Amino acid sequence: METQVQPVFRTEGLTRIYTSGEVAVRALDGVDLTLEAGAFTVLLGASGSGKSTLLNILGGLDRATAGRVWFRDTEITGASDAALTRFRRDHVGFVFQFYNLIASLTARENVQLVTDVARNPMPPEEALDLVDMGHRIDHFPAQLSGGEQQRVAIARAIAKRPDVLLCDEPTGALDSRTGVRVLEALAAVNDRFGTTTVVITHNAAIRAMAHRVIRFADGRVAEVTENARRLPPSAIDW
Amino acid sequence: MRALDRKLLRDLRRQSAQGAAIALVLACGVAILLMSVGLSRALEETRAAYYERNRFADVFASVRRVPRTLLPEIAALPGVLAVEARIEGAAVLDLPGRTEAAQARVLSLPADGGEPALNLPLLREGRWPDPESAAEVAVNEPFARANGFRPGDSFTAILDGRARVLTITGIALSPEFIYTIGPGAMMPDNAGYGILWLSDRAAAAAFGMQGAFSTVALSLWAGAPEGPVIDALDRLLAPFGAVGAHGRDAQMSNAFLDAEITQLRTIAAILPPVFLVITTYLVGMVMGRIVELERAEIGLLKALGYGRGAILGQYMALSAGVAMAGVLLGWVLGTVLSQAMARLYAQYFDFPFLIFGLSPGVYALSAVLGLAAAMLGALRASLRAAALPPAVAMAPPVPPSYRRGIADRALTALRPSQPTLMILRGLLRWPLRTALSILGLALAVSVLVASNFFPDALDFLVDQSFNLGNRQEAILILGAEAPEGALMAVARLPGVLQAEGQSVAPVRLTHGPRQKTATLEARRPGADLARIVTTDGRTVEPPAGGLLLSERLAAALDAAPGDMIEVALLARGGEVHALPLAGTVPLYFGLGAWTDLDTFSRLLREAPRISAAGVTLDRAAEAEFHAAVKGLPGVAGTILLDRNVAAFRDTIGENVLVVTSIYAFLGIVITAGVAYNGARIQMSERARELASLRILGFSRGEVSYVLVGETMLLALLAQPPGWWIGAAVARLLTDSFASDLYSVPLVLNPATFAQASLVCLLAAFAAAMVVRRRIDRLDLVAVLKTRE
Ligand SMILES: Nc1ncnc2c1ncn2[C@@H]1O[C@H](COP(=O)(O)OP(=O)(O)O)[C@@H](O)[C@H]1O
Ligand SMILES: [Mg+2]
Repeated sequence: METQVQPVFRTEGLTRIYTSGEVAVRALDGVDLTLEAGAFTVLLGASGSGKSTLLNILGGLDRATAGRVWFRDTEITGASDAALTRFRRDHVGFVFQFYNLIASLTARENVQLVTDVARNPMPPEEALDLVDMGHRIDHFPAQLSGGEQQRVAIARAIAKRPDVLLCDEPTGALDSRTGVRVLEALAAVNDRFGTTTVVITHNAAIRAMAHRVIRFADGRVAEVTENARRLPPSAIDW
Repeated sequence: MRALDRKLLRDLRRQSAQGAAIALVLACGVAILLMSVGLSRALEETRAAYYERNRFADVFASVRRVPRTLLPEIAALPGVLAVEARIEGAAVLDLPGRTEAAQARVLSLPADGGEPALNLPLLREGRWPDPESAAEVAVNEPFARANGFRPGDSFTAILDGRARVLTITGIALSPEFIYTIGPGAMMPDNAGYGILWLSDRAAAAAFGMQGAFSTVALSLWAGAPEGPVIDALDRLLAPFGAVGAHGRDAQMSNAFLDAEITQLRTIAAILPPVFLVITTYLVGMVMGRIVELERAEIGLLKALGYGRGAILGQYMALSAGVAMAGVLLGWVLGTVLSQAMARLYAQYFDFPFLIFGLSPGVYALSAVLGLAAAMLGALRASLRAAALPPAVAMAPPVPPSYRRGIADRALTALRPSQPTLMILRGLLRWPLRTALSILGLALAVSVLVASNFFPDALDFLVDQSFNLGNRQEAILILGAEAPEGALMAVARLPGVLQAEGQSVAPVRLTHGPRQKTATLEARRPGADLARIVTTDGRTVEPPAGGLLLSERLAAALDAAPGDMIEVALLARGGEVHALPLAGTVPLYFGLGAWTDLDTFSRLLREAPRISAAGVTLDRAAEAEFHAAVKGLPGVAGTILLDRNVAAFRDTIGENVLVVTSIYAFLGIVITAGVAYNGARIQMSERARELASLRILGFSRGEVSYVLVGETMLLALLAQPPGWWIGAAVARLLTDSFASDLYSVPLVLNPATFAQASLVCLLAAFAAAMVVRRRIDRLDLVAVLKTRE
């Protein structure tokens, strides 16, 4: 199916150098990339290849050392702190490897954290239902398993109806079966709302789910492949 | 409710123990502020209202005898609004059921039976004496209460050598006697010293003052300066043996109130800031740690689209919550404390009413200061939280870098046990925090030292003034000056073991432009009973051919040894002599001035005369002595020094106990606040390490040692600076308490330091032990699983 799709993110010579002490690490080394709206993209690559760094810069969590990034028609490189905050609030949903729920808030309240400030959120209950967590709504993170926590985190990310969903190793801390449920939740959101989704993983098996697979190596895009046929998450095993 | 607010509330609850420890410290500061400001205002406002309603005079003068015909001239002085003249005298009282004689000051009431124009006494019970009656009297309320007198009761008064029975018709209070202290006494003795109001007729007859007066009081037009009026009045009264007019500042009762108000203001200025600073420090320390612990959550909130302002607000609100708790608690504590202290004050000061309402302004001020202190403490950590870049915040923190510096190498060379090494490395790793913890605990020690020194200072004062200085047990005040031979008659009184005489004269000392009214005591050298003992314990003899002044008095005159001082003898019509200043002595009490009795008599070109005799008594014959004195015509009064000492110790002792307990509590609160928060922070930072130790097979005791050991090491290190700061604060307090009337000695015994340290170390240990219980509850598995 070939349609004319608008890019959501576009980068040009994106470079990020970390300097700690005397050593400088080139985490990103001139990345040129375009991510299309509605696409489900998987970022693959060895540990330390710069995947998280890229995702953080796309999501407005981190700043580039050089190069440029556009979100739709707006350049976000060089945006002010307040503008980046608004960008994250209005457009981006994050899912992290370590769930990152607030321990003192229940599942519902963790989601509410986002719906409180979003422009057009869905009710927290609805978001939790979407990830099949409607029955654990008043539980605190400590009372949930890792997979359940991650699903709450996804509910939190999608509750604002974000334009992009950025997931950094969402299954990294999970066993295979739980991981699959989390991936199913992500795929469902992508299907239903057409949310542009980027998932980092260093698990090559997940690539079968994606429209597009970007392989990273040494801070650069090494290879881009399009999947003609996507596998459902349930068919994935690792 | 917003989820973020809910998080805030839950965080507050989770930090409630630490928050409470901080809130308690803040509450103490707020309470002291309320108490000291509240009390000083209550004293000032009550006094002002009382003075206003009862027309307290502005200028006072005593003379020997002035015809009333001079009054229009006084009233015509520029600036004078009203004049009230009366007859005053001393009386010895023989009270039913009291062995020893009591003293009284006699005041006449207006002849026409009307109200006095100034210094209006306030009738509390009964009626004023009949202007025609010579046998009726009104007495001051504290005297009546202490002796159980009611209107209708009678007692015997010896007025100018003649005994007469007086019947009480009324009981009154006066703005002149809010604080009533007899001549030569150190403390009020309500039972032994009274104020008697007699009709003008009776007083004139008793003291031979028909058509004359012996004291005059003036009020001035608002804004009229008192200096020129005092000078004019002195010139007018000089021919009549004036003792020198003075303003309110030298009016005894008013001066004591002034000294008390100054003390309260000093406390308000010194103590609350200490607590506010500690609050700031504690909040800063705890918030810094919380932000460190919540880095990931902060990053997450930012990733979710919360801005700097929201994060900043979150942590500032957390500290504001703690501050509010502290302020509220402080308000309650302060209100209760103020009322308790006001009751204590009511024992000292005889007000007919007490205007005690802490104004909303004081509450508001304390709240603003409390909030500001806490939020200032939170500001650094909160700003750091707000500025955390989200990507960095969510990355696991870099493990603290322990470096092997010189100190560390020296440390390991000592081959301490691993837990000891952990303690020492921990302290060296965060030198600023270590230093601040030590400072916090040192402040606690200093509060304990500075409060503990008071009882010692008072013991010392009593010892100096009585056991060394005034060793006579009673002083007989002679009505008129008597030849030195009269001492023989005193020595022959039953029960008298030793007798010494001296001449006491009111004088005005002038040196250049400076003047000061004082009492000159002329004595023979080698006195055994009344001795001049300096603050450093030396005994000094009255100098022949010169004057000896207390340093306080010499400073007021700006005079140095060798300078010539003009001595105006006020009881002799102001005749002036010049004496060189032979020396100065440091003293705790009063504006002392002495000379040798022979020198003094030569000046007067008279044979030596005495006006007072000090005696020591045979306890077995005390009753006979008092009986004999009551019948002795020449004696105008008896001062019982041992009674004075006992009263002094009782009243002051009780107060000191209350005040010292309050301060001890404050010291404990500070120690516990600092030690508890320090241990909690250490516990949270070391949870993993401590759990690992447990897993490696260290016992609970050994693991506790790391936690408790660090707290105790900090507490030990805090002692020497605490002693030092405490001594400095004590010096500041004694300096600021010094007035014309007295100064408080700085007595710092080793026991004071030891006690302060003991209390501080115990409180620190208790605080650490409370935290230590968390080690028992340490969930070993959970700790190792969490990222932090
Ligand atoms: N805050 C940082 N400071 C210094 N170096 C960093 C920081 N974050 C990441 N790096 C370095 O940048 C490189 C890329 O990191 P990252 O993007 O996290 O890789 P990936 O997510 O692909 O494993 C790595 O070499 C990492 O060590
Ligand atoms: Mg990564």
